[in-house]
Amino acid sequence: MDPALRNSDVADAELAQAAARGDPDAFGQLIDRHGLAARRAARAILRDADDADDAVQEGMLAAWRAIDRYDPARPFRPWLMRIVVNAALDARRRSRVRRAEPIVDSLESGGLSPDRRAEAALLRERIHAGLASLPERQRVALVLFDGEGWGHAEIAAALGVPEGTVRSYVFHARRAMRRALGNLAEGMK
Amino acid sequence: MTSSPFDNQPNEVLGRMLREELTGSEPEAFLRRLRGVVTEAGTRTQWDVLAGWARPRVMAAAIAAALLLWFGSWFASTTSANEAGVMVASMPAHTVLSPQPPPVDEIMSALMERR
Repeated sequence: MDPALRNSDVADAELAQAAARGDPDAFGQLIDRHGLAARRAARAILRDADDADDAVQEGMLAAWRAIDRYDPARPFRPWLMRIVVNAALDARRRSRVRRAEPIVDSLESGGLSPDRRAEAALLRERIHAGLASLPERQRVALVLFDGEGWGHAEIAAALGVPEGTVRSYVFHARRAMRRALGNLAEGMK
Repeated sequence: MTSSPFDNQPNEVLGRMLREELTGSEPEAFLRRLRGVVTEAGTRTQWDVLAGWARPRVMAAAIAAALLLWFGSWFASTTSANEAGVMVASMPAHTVLSPQPPPVDEIMSALMERR
């Protein structure tokens, strides 16, 4: 990899262009930057940790193979996220099984008092219930907006919907999450 | 999560909760695995790069060939239509206008005249 591209200030588009010239390390750097956001978006859709990781892997491979079709004049991360989201939606359609088990390997609760641990478990349960009550695209919009700090326009590009639709997704998703979290939401400032 | 759903700014508290819920275990290992998969799945060879570069040119050549083929067939059909026109023109008018097929000797003589 060109040492100049190791700088964290290098734009995604430059790394993508280097990847299109056949540099896998440049693409690796893009994975480092966006891999976890992609994982969170895939988990918001699939709700099963292994299926979500498989979908991200599939999406990243597809992006790597199609990297020469990426237009550097456009932002990179919505392009990448759209591929990953589509891979997750495809996986969801293929499985047609909505698993009931929550994703349980997060929200550290070790070292907490029994009261705090119970509260953390309740919070996790309610977040899970809130997310489960949302349609897939609302979940992704919420995760990208509040979880990743993306703007409406970028989310719209990633989901292939108008910006106004994203605003509506976020609004409805937040309202549902607020309902699901109840009093826990109020006490968490 | 004390802000209104109407807010146009990300909600930090909700954002943190979502990240904690969805990030999953061993994020570094996950990223390492992804990088490994991409590397294993095939370093893009020079041929792949060349193929990507050549794709638009191959498309252009295919379109040019299709246009050439279409123009050639159009030209051939126009020429044969003209020839049929010449043949009809060299026959006596009553054989063309008559509902009955013309006698064979009149057709033969029209063809001979063309030569």
